[in-house]
Amino acid sequence: MTLQTLPARYRIAWRAAETHDTVTLALEPVDQPIGTHLPGQFTMLYAFGIGEVPISISGLAGRCLVQTIRSVGAVTRALCEADPGQLVGVRGPFGTHWGVADAAGRELVIVAGGIGLAPLRGALLAALAARERYRRIVVLIGARSPHELVFAEEVAAWRAAGADVLVTVDRASAGWTGHVGVVTQLIDRAGIDPGAALALICGPEVMMRLTARELCAHGVAPGNIRLSLERNMRCGIAECGHCQLGPLLLCRDGPVVSYTQVAPLLTVREL
Amino acid sequence: MQHPTAADGPLLMDATALEPLCSALRRAGYQVIGPTVRDGAIVLGELGSAADLPFGWGVSLQPGGYRIRRRDDTAAFGHSAGPQSWKQFLHPPREKVWSARRTAGGFEVEPGDNPAPRLAFLGVRPCDLSAIKIQDQVLGRGQHAGSTYAARRSGVFIVAVNCTEPGETCFCASMGTGPGAGPGYDLALTEVTGEDGHRFLVEVGSPAGADMLASVPTRRADAAFARRARSAVAAASGRMGRSMPAGILHDLMAASNDADRWDDVAARCLTCGNCTMACPTCFCTTVEDTTDLSGDHAERWREWDSCFDLDFSYLHGGPVRSSPRGRYRQWLTHKLGTWHDQFGSSGCVGCGRCIVWCPVGIDLTEEVAAMQAEAAQGGTRHAGTGGEQP
Amino acid sequence: MNRAETADLAAHAFLRGMPADHVALLSATAAPVSLPAGHRLFEEGGRAANCWLLTAGQVALDLPVPGRANLIVETLGSGDVIGFSWLSPPHQWQFGAQALGPASAFELDGPAVQALCDAHPELGYQLAMRMLAAAVRRLQATRIRLLDLYAPPGGRGDAE
Repeated sequence: MTLQTLPARYRIAWRAAETHDTVTLALEPVDQPIGTHLPGQFTMLYAFGIGEVPISISGLAGRCLVQTIRSVGAVTRALCEADPGQLVGVRGPFGTHWGVADAAGRELVIVAGGIGLAPLRGALLAALAARERYRRIVVLIGARSPHELVFAEEVAAWRAAGADVLVTVDRASAGWTGHVGVVTQLIDRAGIDPGAALALICGPEVMMRLTARELCAHGVAPGNIRLSLERNMRCGIAECGHCQLGPLLLCRDGPVVSYTQVAPLLTVREL
Repeated sequence: MQHPTAADGPLLMDATALEPLCSALRRAGYQVIGPTVRDGAIVLGELGSAADLPFGWGVSLQPGGYRIRRRDDTAAFGHSAGPQSWKQFLHPPREKVWSARRTAGGFEVEPGDNPAPRLAFLGVRPCDLSAIKIQDQVLGRGQHAGSTYAARRSGVFIVAVNCTEPGETCFCASMGTGPGAGPGYDLALTEVTGEDGHRFLVEVGSPAGADMLASVPTRRADAAFARRARSAVAAASGRMGRSMPAGILHDLMAASNDADRWDDVAARCLTCGNCTMACPTCFCTTVEDTTDLSGDHAERWREWDSCFDLDFSYLHGGPVRSSPRGRYRQWLTHKLGTWHDQFGSSGCVGCGRCIVWCPVGIDLTEEVAAMQAEAAQGGTRHAGTGGEQP
Repeated sequence: MNRAETADLAAHAFLRGMPADHVALLSATAAPVSLPAGHRLFEEGGRAANCWLLTAGQVALDLPVPGRANLIVETLGSGDVIGFSWLSPPHQWQFGAQALGPASAFELDGPAVQALCDAHPELGYQLAMRMLAAAVRRLQATRIRLLDLYAPPGGRGDAE
């Protein structure tokens, strides 16, 4: 395994605006492509002259890496404003993956909050591509408002492919006739079988903590709950020390972790 | 002159043999790095000759205090806890990772040109040798086998010097890293001064070490001398300045997240980060992405960083560890606790530099003792942030 | 109004664990109802005199906002209780409620439930504790929504 310190060049093949501040980029390799990756892993994306950010891989389209970026700072703003044809740097893939295959024969329960749907999308697509392997695929999505739902136009296709998808928003807008409430309130609605569930959760850390707790209250064992955690990341290769969460180096031991591992860590202030 | 092998047993050399040793190292293409007096401290720098060593200089150490002092002998290695460690040579404070330039089609990337000089370290204390091995584990193994650290490290020639005179702030014995050097040296010296003269016991640790002695005047050490040198080292473990309390520190740290003691130390800690700079195992770095004024040329540099820096844990608009309590706790629980989880050993080697170079004299052995006492009294008064019970 | 069957009522999540004799008493005040899609259960400002235990479908609590039609503040589904304002003065609905699709529920007659609780304090206590638990869960969820966790970090701008 070689050290990934140099960015590989990728060209933006296409870009799609998901919401007012979130963009999906399809990146095709110019140099040697990065190694094969699994849903849940991430890359460090480089905008020339500005810097790098860790972004989860949200899928594959042919030879293209599909990555969804929210504009929250200088680097992500540059990436979101980049045009097709422009080059970006890619290092990776880094980190642990969701382990979707572990849900074979069981109920795969995907709970996504906000932009957290992006790291989960790859897992969902992988499961839908082999739908018969899973007893049930449940997707619970929480978004801020109806027009801040990422991948909104894909939801119908996911349902058609055999996923039970429930969507809720924190704030409704005129014309919305779907659920209004926090995403944990969908757990009741979904009628999951706690003994058979493997749950994958991604979103703001508070949302993940509360969702994991709610799933446990419903009888899902902590070992069957996985979260994708985040801390400040600089190198991506476990040598800079920034992404520590207690004993874990999240670029190496995460971002996907078991709730059993992290439950005691998530409630320690300033860990 | 003899050409000794390790099987011949320890050797004896006079202090005057240090010069031929340095010459031999330089002839072999090494840059010789060792302690030297500069700016009122004993620092590590390139030695032009053995005369640059701090013969006759010692140090007075205390929490938050360091002074060099004249010794009443001519010992060259009778000092400890200098402001720097060998990590500045193996894991440099600044290094260019790569550069990139804009092109018509986008940009091109070139790896940083980081020549790995051949370095010889003359005078590595056992604690610092342990620290080098700890950094090897963090920065040079597994996926890091091809790193610039590994490249620099692979050619290093190490002359360790066993400890016979621990400093007031030393506690290597209680960390299991001294006062005698563990494996990993090419040569290990034990300095003996006295009426019989200024001499060294020389132990060979590698074929490279044996070869280097080919042009250095040595002779077989007689049993009495060898015994005298070795017992001085053994005696040193009973004369440590302090000791780290016994116990499984990993477990103590894991159980201490809510300890009151953190508030106590946070009231003193300036979060200046001196400890992380002086510590021989602290390895954290950051990356700086820069461009020139034209915007056409970009560089990425890796630089030393400290977990005491507010920016270190920045996430979504603010630092995760904003309080001094949170940052000091991170440093100590990592050093003594989670380092085991991440890298399979303690991160502390008992060199005492953090105690000496802390402007307010925080002593981690004292902090650990206080935390053990607090834990023994049944833990903290804080209400349950004991975490989830899955 | 048709009287609710005790067994059906006892199966509702809201009444889980309530002693059977209490449920039997309560069934005298409850009637199963169908709520067609679009049916308005109550309007803001109306007199609050009943509550519903939803058994199927989805009901939205809403508020009319000038220039923005009716904004949905929360949706409730099977297992939920709808309506707290009947419990205490001024007995006035604070929101409106509409069935988003065909729904069914047990409708409880407010004054009748009140009289039952006055006569049977133990039943009153059981009901009150369940109402409180439902209100607390909704309060907790609402507080989380107020945190606006999915907002951009630094709380920049609004989507609209």
